[in-house]
Amino acid sequence: MIPAAVGDVSLVVAVLFSLLGLLAAVAAWYSRDARYIQMAKRAALVSFLGTLAAFAALEWALLSDDFSVIYVASNSTRANPTWVKFATLWAALEGSILLWALFQTLYTWLAGRRMRDYWISPVALGTLFVIQLFFLVNVLFVINPFIVLPHPPSDGPGPNPLLQNHWMMAVHPILMYLGFVGLSVPFAYAIAAMWTRRYQTWVTETKWWLIIAWGFLTAAIYAGGWWSYEVLGWGGYWGWDPVENASFIPWLLATAFLHTAMVQERRGLFRTWNFALVTLAFAATVFGTFLTRSGVIESVHAFAGGPVGPIFLSFLLVILAVGFGLLGRVSSEVRDVGAVQPLSREGLLLFGALVLVTMAFVVILGTLFPLLVEAFNGAKVSVGAPFFNQLFVPLGYLLLLLMGLGPVLPWRRAEPETLRVVVWMAIALVLGTALGLVVGWTLWVSLTVGFVLFNLVALGWLSFGPALRRARATGASPLKTFFSQFAHSHRRFGGYTVHLGVIVAALAISFSQSYRLDVQKTLDIGQKWNVVGRDIVVHKLRLVREPYRDSVVADVEVSGLGVAHPRLNYYRSSQTPFASPAVTYTWLKDYYLVLQAFDQEKGSWVTLRLVVTPLVLWLWISAGIIIFGTLLILWPTAAPVAGSEVSREAAI
Amino acid sequence: MKRWLLVLLLLAVPVAAQTVGNQPPPDYSPKVFEIAKKLRCPVCRGESAAESNAGVTQEMRRQIAEMLKEGKSEDEIIQYFVDRYTNWILYEPPKKGLGLVVWLAPVLGLLIFGLGFYAYTRAAAQREAAMVDVDDAEIARVEAELEERSRSGGKS
Repeated sequence: MIPAAVGDVSLVVAVLFSLLGLLAAVAAWYSRDARYIQMAKRAALVSFLGTLAAFAALEWALLSDDFSVIYVASNSTRANPTWVKFATLWAALEGSILLWALFQTLYTWLAGRRMRDYWISPVALGTLFVIQLFFLVNVLFVINPFIVLPHPPSDGPGPNPLLQNHWMMAVHPILMYLGFVGLSVPFAYAIAAMWTRRYQTWVTETKWWLIIAWGFLTAAIYAGGWWSYEVLGWGGYWGWDPVENASFIPWLLATAFLHTAMVQERRGLFRTWNFALVTLAFAATVFGTFLTRSGVIESVHAFAGGPVGPIFLSFLLVILAVGFGLLGRVSSEVRDVGAVQPLSREGLLLFGALVLVTMAFVVILGTLFPLLVEAFNGAKVSVGAPFFNQLFVPLGYLLLLLMGLGPVLPWRRAEPETLRVVVWMAIALVLGTALGLVVGWTLWVSLTVGFVLFNLVALGWLSFGPALRRARATGASPLKTFFSQFAHSHRRFGGYTVHLGVIVAALAISFSQSYRLDVQKTLDIGQKWNVVGRDIVVHKLRLVREPYRDSVVADVEVSGLGVAHPRLNYYRSSQTPFASPAVTYTWLKDYYLVLQAFDQEKGSWVTLRLVVTPLVLWLWISAGIIIFGTLLILWPTAAPVAGSEVSREAAI
Repeated sequence: MKRWLLVLLLLAVPVAAQTVGNQPPPDYSPKVFEIAKKLRCPVCRGESAAESNAGVTQEMRRQIAEMLKEGKSEDEIIQYFVDRYTNWILYEPPKKGLGLVVWLAPVLGLLIFGLGFYAYTRAAAQREAAMVDVDDAEIARVEAELEERSRSGGKS
């Protein structure tokens, strides 16, 4: 009762102050009075605090088992552990949109704090206020989680069991929303830039926001992959499920924009395309939510439906209409001047962006294709993992090629001295591929190995070449020179580190997709099963009772690797058991055990599914490398000029 | 060992991951999962027959294993499921007719966006080429003239 009232009042406050902020931004635009901008910034803070209070109220209701609140009654249950109750806030539609609104108000407030320009600020802030109003109004009026039930039940069904099976579920959605919402800031700046006809500088102003959003999106996609690997029980990390695709599309577009933004910063080119890319990237986040929540497309992730499908679709159309409507004027006014050599840094950056945009196009078309065909001639088709895997292999090689070559080439035109390292890279490519074929790997895996070496030579040259040359000239120690260069230009090295992570990921994906072993066998207790050079023995079958679930656990020994505990979990809310796989990671191979069935009468046999996949651990390591690289880029510069704008900019 | 019966009674739910009558499911070779991965689970959302644990897919995997034992080839097995469920059961759309459109998506994408990028860079390059090169003498002359004008303008 009380939490519901607090929640509703807080939401009303948040909505009112968002409106006030929007009005102040409009007033600032027309009156050119800086005081209105101050007012809008303060309104942003109040509406953030209001949304935070609403968030806290819903958490309060969840943690205190207040089943008079509709969201708690339909999504939580008394017996759940505290962390599950806490994470239940984003386990269903209403709560997750509230979380989205919370992050949106947070970003609006933070972005507002950094706005100095009295031309751009009113429009950028106004755009952000409109976006956050959309979410807040939805939470308050359409999918209000605080509705009070006249006859509260004594207990609820709890969240979807898949969502309570792994702690990653408490982390992955938060990262995803932080990434999605983060893209709204570059979008708002782009709208402001188009509106005020300041076409060049917005890219530099929003660069850090873009990198932050990109980092969160990347981390979220990895976290989701890890969750499916550890929970879904089929030994894979990526299934090209529509909702996975929906998170991948903004990532691809943001990655493309990240690279074309460099071309704009450096050479003032590609300005119209950058507006289009950032609009599409932000629209893709809303598109993803529309796909997940509307029920238009079937997905394993469609955890909750609701009335918001058409609303999100309209919002998506408004974003596209505003973005491309303004772009129509921009494209008639912006006349970029400058030749781009195909074999130059900017030439390859554009080629890379072309491949990334094409990838996004393939994912969008593939995801929507069943819908399109059905609308066209009523036939039913499926587009799934085998299709995407086949098409992404050639596109992936193209990207690996451009990724190695691009950073090596200088801006404007290729120079003769870079030719030498390109020759070495080509030799590495040929040698690596040949080596792979001699060892007996498939052509595709061998080619990946070749491209990995190709990229490693490039990154090695880029990272250590300057230090070696300088050390030779000055006579200082090469290692010392390298570290001083690293400290001095850590952003450049951050970029290289991210590329290194992508290469490691490419290697891991290639091997794990090509050499996967998947078997199922029924074993008697104590029976030895010799497979892939290991002995597997089931020692015991046990029943574990917890307040919120019962589990049947098998103690399975994999020789040399200890005992694993695959289990079947029986949740109160679900008719079917949920298999919780046990993964034993090693540097080269994973042993992934799933309890498929067991003898219910005597407990004398167990059916196990074993999935052995190479190099999956390296996929998770690559996530660490990429995040580390992103942090290096974002890290403030070592010796900030006291009190300067630069140091403050870097800190955010 | 009555314990296990007790578990079932307590749970009082059908154990879906289990075949009827407490019989262990058959053993499957890697080939079974390889084929099952190409087929969709008919009752699930976005899962293949190798991934899902629904009753139907359990049955599908059993059938695949049986047909493999009978010596049927992968194509024959897949055809068997296509006959039963139509092409919809395949996770790869057919490479003919309308299905060809989605298979050509990368080519289409590279073409459409590639042409767009090309047109853009060409226009930008032409604009640069169209700019007139001005030598230093010309600049000096213009500057002198401007200065002259502003001086005379200042007087009048």
